[in-house]
Amino acid sequence: MVIKHLRKWLVSGLLSFSAVTAVQAQTFVFTAIPDEDETKLVERFRGVADYLSEQLDVDVRYIPVKSYAAAVSAFRNNQVQLAWFGGLSGVQARRLVPGSEAIAQGVEDEAFVTYFIANTSTEIEPAGSLADLEDNLRGKTFTFGSKGSTSGRLMPEFHLRDTFGEAPESVFSRVGFSGNHTRTLRLVEAGTYEVGALNFQVWEKELADGNIDTDAVQVIWKTPAYPDYQWTIRGDVNERFGEGFKDKVTKALLELDDPALLESFPRSGFIPASNDDYEPIRKTAENIGILD
Amino acid sequence: MFSYPTVRASFIFLAIALGGLLVADIAITTANPWQDLGRFFLGVATPNFFSTEGLMTALLRTVAFAFVGVTIGSLAGFLLALGYRFLPVRIFCAFIRSIHELFWALIFLQFFGFHPLTGVLAIAIPYSGIFAKVYSEIFEESDPEPGRLLPPGTGSVSAFLYARIPDCWEQIRTYTSYRLECGLRSSAILGFVGLPTLGFYLESSFSQGMYSDAGAMLILFYILIATLPLWVRPKLLPFYILAAPFFLGDGFPIVWGNVERFFTEDIIPAPLRDGEGLAGLSAWFGDVMVTEALPGIWNTIVLTQIALVATGIISLLAFPLISNHFGGPVRRTSGHVLLVIARSTPEYILAYILLQLWGPSMLPAVVALALHNGGIIGHLIGRQTNTIQLRPDSPTGFTRYSWELVPRVYRSFLAFLFYRWEIIMRETAILGILGIYTLGFYVDSAIQNIRFDRAMVLILITALLNIGVDALGRYIRRKLALQTMQTC
Amino acid sequence: MPGFDFHGLTASFNGERVIGPLSLHVNEGEHVALVGKSGAGKSTLIRLLYDRLESEASLIPQGLGLVNALPVFHNVFMGQLDRHPGWYNALTLIRPFRRDRDTVKALLKELEIPEKQWIPTAALSGGQRQRVAIARAIYRQAPVLLADEPISALDGPMAHLVMKTLTNRFSTSIIALHDVDMALRYCNRIIGIQDGQVALDEAASSLVASDIMSLY
Repeated sequence: MVIKHLRKWLVSGLLSFSAVTAVQAQTFVFTAIPDEDETKLVERFRGVADYLSEQLDVDVRYIPVKSYAAAVSAFRNNQVQLAWFGGLSGVQARRLVPGSEAIAQGVEDEAFVTYFIANTSTEIEPAGSLADLEDNLRGKTFTFGSKGSTSGRLMPEFHLRDTFGEAPESVFSRVGFSGNHTRTLRLVEAGTYEVGALNFQVWEKELADGNIDTDAVQVIWKTPAYPDYQWTIRGDVNERFGEGFKDKVTKALLELDDPALLESFPRSGFIPASNDDYEPIRKTAENIGILD
Repeated sequence: MFSYPTVRASFIFLAIALGGLLVADIAITTANPWQDLGRFFLGVATPNFFSTEGLMTALLRTVAFAFVGVTIGSLAGFLLALGYRFLPVRIFCAFIRSIHELFWALIFLQFFGFHPLTGVLAIAIPYSGIFAKVYSEIFEESDPEPGRLLPPGTGSVSAFLYARIPDCWEQIRTYTSYRLECGLRSSAILGFVGLPTLGFYLESSFSQGMYSDAGAMLILFYILIATLPLWVRPKLLPFYILAAPFFLGDGFPIVWGNVERFFTEDIIPAPLRDGEGLAGLSAWFGDVMVTEALPGIWNTIVLTQIALVATGIISLLAFPLISNHFGGPVRRTSGHVLLVIARSTPEYILAYILLQLWGPSMLPAVVALALHNGGIIGHLIGRQTNTIQLRPDSPTGFTRYSWELVPRVYRSFLAFLFYRWEIIMRETAILGILGIYTLGFYVDSAIQNIRFDRAMVLILITALLNIGVDALGRYIRRKLALQTMQTC
Repeated sequence: MPGFDFHGLTASFNGERVIGPLSLHVNEGEHVALVGKSGAGKSTLIRLLYDRLESEASLIPQGLGLVNALPVFHNVFMGQLDRHPGWYNALTLIRPFRRDRDTVKALLKELEIPEKQWIPTAALSGGQRQRVAIARAIYRQAPVLLADEPISALDGPMAHLVMKTLTNRFSTSIIALHDVDMALRYCNRIIGIQDGQVALDEAASSLVASDIMSLY
């Protein structure tokens, strides 16, 4: 009796899986690194999905993921064909998927910046160079964003190592990974960590929206500029979705001019990008040992 | 008193834990931990059940993954139990159950991606190892006499069906349904790594400080577990099992090339992949050991030992809450509710909540592990005290507690505690994903950096550590002659 | 081989000899009552004989060895599991065949518990359980019966009925009994066991109850 149930169950299970496969074959799926609060991401990228769907004439679906690595893996496993990556995750993804290309970046991403922020109770004053802050920073608690983030981990760690010649763990008394930029902001604002590093765009947008208690937290140092976020597409999309599909996606992204949608990123527009633009990121990552 | 081996063992473990406290990172780092805790409880008191349209779907998926995972796990575990007397089978089972569901999920995510199979296997694989062990223990304890009386020449299948199964059936049923409850907890936390179950939304709401939404999800989860006996009926079970696969969600198709790539490339140590040979491999392995494995092992052990003793203390404090020998029905009922909440909240979720509220250190992990496991053991011990008949003129209050009850239940208390030692260590390793520097932290880091070779080495080390603690726990239980039952 | 001849039967428990060495010769048609104090080694001797006789004997142990979760029917049916293929037995577990149902029913009727056929044995009284074990032994249809106190939980008339049935159904039997009158009435040979040795071995017709009482 058990065997019979089992067989029935297996057959029905397989059927349901294969039915799903058939339906999804023609859907163009994309994801994005979870660098901010999920509600914001879902709202933003559902808008992008609708826009792309209209422009490309195929079903477009956005899937939210829980980590930077999950975004890279989904891209690598061809479960998504397009992704909004950070500098580092883009480099990782393109290394793993030969033929994939960075096709567009935000206007602001050419020269992206990380802000070091501190809770005001630390009484650290803003400075022009990180070296000037050495006495103030030593022994404090510090949080990065996600482990795989460019602006929240790679660049700040690079500058910390570059300036102090030590690992962050030996500069600070406690080093954590908040998970995303919004959370870094909240944690430093609340004093859970005394110092943190985050994506300047998130800071600026939250500031403009009046969501930051400037009496509790302030920017203490800004990194030099580096290239960051970009749209990366798999090399094999033309075979799956038809000749010229990649160009159509690129064109659609570059022509995106819906102010509300751009505002949600927040970017003033998208401009062409290439894999070579991200060489500095790759070198930095190898330098601090995140990439082999 | 020190002449009792049980007391001596207890004090040795207490001393180890106190030593651990000296080197452990215990702190509350948030500026306003109590204010946040207050906001959290306010959120639970004012739940918002309509936050996400996906909440009901998530709940359904949580149930579906649990059902499918536990069903497959129990069938596979049953088959494995039949061969449990063979050493290779025992080793295999010990290995697959020593790797936590979340680690399995993280592994399958790398090549199955967001396919339902990822979640199903993440539950089914470790569960089949656990089922195999417990089922085989149940078989062993069954009455051998009916089997001996069968006419010689009876086929082994017939003998098994008649003389073994019926005798064990009730215990197997009880244990399997208990595991279904565990399956629901496992299924819920799989959401934390991106599967479409309750944890997915719980993590989102929590990280954004939306405590009313999170509170609603927790309340729904408690209701789901508390009402389990009402809606899981033997008659309805076939229906659930047949229906569950259809409610796993669609996910994404499996690309089999990814599976092959994972096993033939991703998990091959980088030096071998790049053709650097054995010299490169030993340097690579040394680096993994020194920078990741050893600190991870150290922190995992320290945290486990502290959490183990804290669990013991909480259990001893908690069992009077539901014991008939103290207080009236009102207090007992509230005690029951408290313990049900403590043990139905997965320690992962508990640790996550406390981490958000108190900031990162080992403290949230210790408290979470102690509350969850202490709730379970306290419940079992409390139930046991209810079978004790005290003499009519026995003392009351603290004297009754310390002279009459604790000495009588102490041995089974220790048995439960050592039984859960391995479970506590498995959870401790996993809590690293939340940012405490145990082995899970380094596994997660390796995965975040797309270094699956490192991740696999660290997961293997975690598994070996668990197997070691399991063996040590069994040795101590045998040494102290402690009996235990499986439903713990 | 309904009769048998064994030599050098011994059994030890914790290094201490509890039986033998003793020899036992039983002819076909003999119904042997084993009598003696509790602890004299009767149960052990019956076990020993069961191990030697293998498929020739049906055993009713003192502990009965019933599967409590199974109904009476299946417990009785277990006596013939060796006669059917696995699938037949498996099907019978779910839905018994009419032929087997009728046979078992007739047997239960003889033992006056036909209405209990589908009741799990866990729910039966001690005497009823004992009769289930007896039914199973009879159902097995081995030529020799080995029984250890088979009527200990049965009241007067029922005990007589069972002893009559057992001695009718089996051509040869060895039954451990503490009820001397029963032994004299239904068995034709009495063997008394004392400290693991045969202390008495006579035809029942040549003995009276007081002869046996000296063993106790």
